[in-house]
Amino acid sequence: MRQFFLDIVTGQRSRQGLWVLPLLMALAIVAFLTVRTGHMLRPDNLLNLLAQAMPLIITAIGQTFVVLVGGLDLSVGALISFSTAILALGGPAWILIPAVFLLAGLVGLINGVAVARLNVHPIIATLAMQYIIVGVTLVLRPVAGGSVPRVVIESVGGTFLGLPMQVYWGVVVVLVAWKLLHGSRFGLHLFAIGGGVASGAEDAAHNVGVAVKRNVIFAYVASACFAAAAGIFLAGRIVSGDPTVGNGYEIYAITAVAVGGTQLSGGIGSLHGTIIGAMVLALLSNGMTLLNVSPFVQTAIQGGILLLVVAMQTRRKMGL
Amino acid sequence: MTGMLRSPVVQRLLKVPPSYVVFALLLAILWSARPNMVNFNVMGIFIRQVAPLGILVLGQLLVMRVRSIDLSGGGVILLVNYFIASGTFPGARLPFFIALAIVIGTLVGFFNGWMVAKRRVSAVIVTLAVSIILIGIVQFLAGGSPPGDVPAYFGEIYNTRLGSVPTPVLFWFGMAALMWLFLSRTIFGRFVTAVGENAEAAYFSGVPVERTVILSHTIAGLIAGIAALVQTASISVGSVRVGLDLPIVAVAATILGGVAFGRGDGGVWGPTFGVLSFALLFVVMTVFGLPEPGKQIAQGVIILLAAVLYGVRTAKAN
Repeated sequence: MRQFFLDIVTGQRSRQGLWVLPLLMALAIVAFLTVRTGHMLRPDNLLNLLAQAMPLIITAIGQTFVVLVGGLDLSVGALISFSTAILALGGPAWILIPAVFLLAGLVGLINGVAVARLNVHPIIATLAMQYIIVGVTLVLRPVAGGSVPRVVIESVGGTFLGLPMQVYWGVVVVLVAWKLLHGSRFGLHLFAIGGGVASGAEDAAHNVGVAVKRNVIFAYVASACFAAAAGIFLAGRIVSGDPTVGNGYEIYAITAVAVGGTQLSGGIGSLHGTIIGAMVLALLSNGMTLLNVSPFVQTAIQGGILLLVVAMQTRRKMGL
Repeated sequence: MTGMLRSPVVQRLLKVPPSYVVFALLLAILWSARPNMVNFNVMGIFIRQVAPLGILVLGQLLVMRVRSIDLSGGGVILLVNYFIASGTFPGARLPFFIALAIVIGTLVGFFNGWMVAKRRVSAVIVTLAVSIILIGIVQFLAGGSPPGDVPAYFGEIYNTRLGSVPTPVLFWFGMAALMWLFLSRTIFGRFVTAVGENAEAAYFSGVPVERTVILSHTIAGLIAGIAALVQTASISVGSVRVGLDLPIVAVAATILGGVAFGRGDGGVWGPTFGVLSFALLFVVMTVFGLPEPGKQIAQGVIILLAAVLYGVRTAKAN
């Protein structure tokens, strides 16, 4: 019985990884902040928190797809900035928004083809792509500025049926991601591919009839498209294009994914874990700001939390 | 035609790491565009700038050979730079700083190795977390502003030359030669190869897998400490941002040099030429007057193309 609960808390035998511990951690932070500050659970603070965390949640969900097949996507931060720059080009929203997703999909396609078909290491492929996107973004918009279409601003800052828009964003993103990851053949295949990679039997998924290369390519496309969605959300919040607004998001996203119990060797992880991981990071920074902790100490503490959480995730195999 | 492709000579040529090809191409371009720039004096100055990266790569290739990765170099460089520039240790002299850098690097590397090998924690996350913690500590100590000046003798040593070759470049190549001997002539070098090829098989053959990984990380940390000294000497001031992107660039140079996770085809010199081609790429782009965005795009395209060519060839060779 004791072993049973220990297994649940540490996610030892779970395909979804360790997500109960981060959840307890998030609840503990909420409880602590409620006692210390009093206004933690007020609706306006919660909505504000959700809006702050939304770009990270969306990007981290995208990253989860790639991490599940044992890959990494370092181009998402650059893609976020790129999306805001495209939206600020000026033009009708019904052209700009599909254009953002099309271009992001193309980037994901190139990443995926390079990794799955051309045998390039994910770190190299997506890092090179990051350089290229940063360069193109700087051509489009050397410094922050421009204005994004009204529709985008209202879709992020407005309200609908009495609820702020970030709630709808959250619901839609989670539904789409849940359908892809836990409600479709595609998601199941990602787990199969990643499980093989993690246990050293790279052909395992191929041998049972999974179209490995195609699914890996789709995983990178999904990651890029979620990053584009995060870019649209951020553009709506900052109301302009900014070539540096996405800097560092690839690291935050990987951090959130890892804190949420998804293993970087692939095959183990979950959507709710990633959401919890992103919320832990957002709660930490929100809470420490409320408590007037220096932003530099916040960085160090976030690193410490990351170290603590992954130290709990013991694996059989060594490595990445 | 296919017969020729199968010949051992052609097969061997196909396995040449992309870094050599990129280096030769860039040198040819520079030679045809600005022949007077291709001499020891001019090239030495450009190559000197990448010496910290080149030294960091020596540690990176070691941990990548045992299927691990080290992203903590940025934090180590920042911390060592802070201690040297901030005057935390008044009256300290050069030997003290060297010892300090080596101790910091070795401790960080040992911690990384212990977490990766004993606790079986993801190497990306552990080394990334260590780097984040170190960066946070330095920025907190420095209050977000550059800490101060580096003692003058760092810059003086950095600017010395032996003949027409800058000392930092000689030092870098000396360390590369040491690492090459270390990997090719010692039992530890064979352990590294064995663990990289197949950790399980190595374990059952009696190779101390965990110890090999821990030692690799410890040496990589030590090398990161040395890279921190050279980087600090090269910029000659304290900074809260120096060297943050070096670890990931080091990974790129290492992979372009033909060393991938668990595979060491490129040896030590492949990755070293990877760093040299980054330096040369910078020179060529500056010569052609490419603006900053153009440089980023060209860098990305060249890395991607080189990696694609190599990836396709190794896939066919297997």
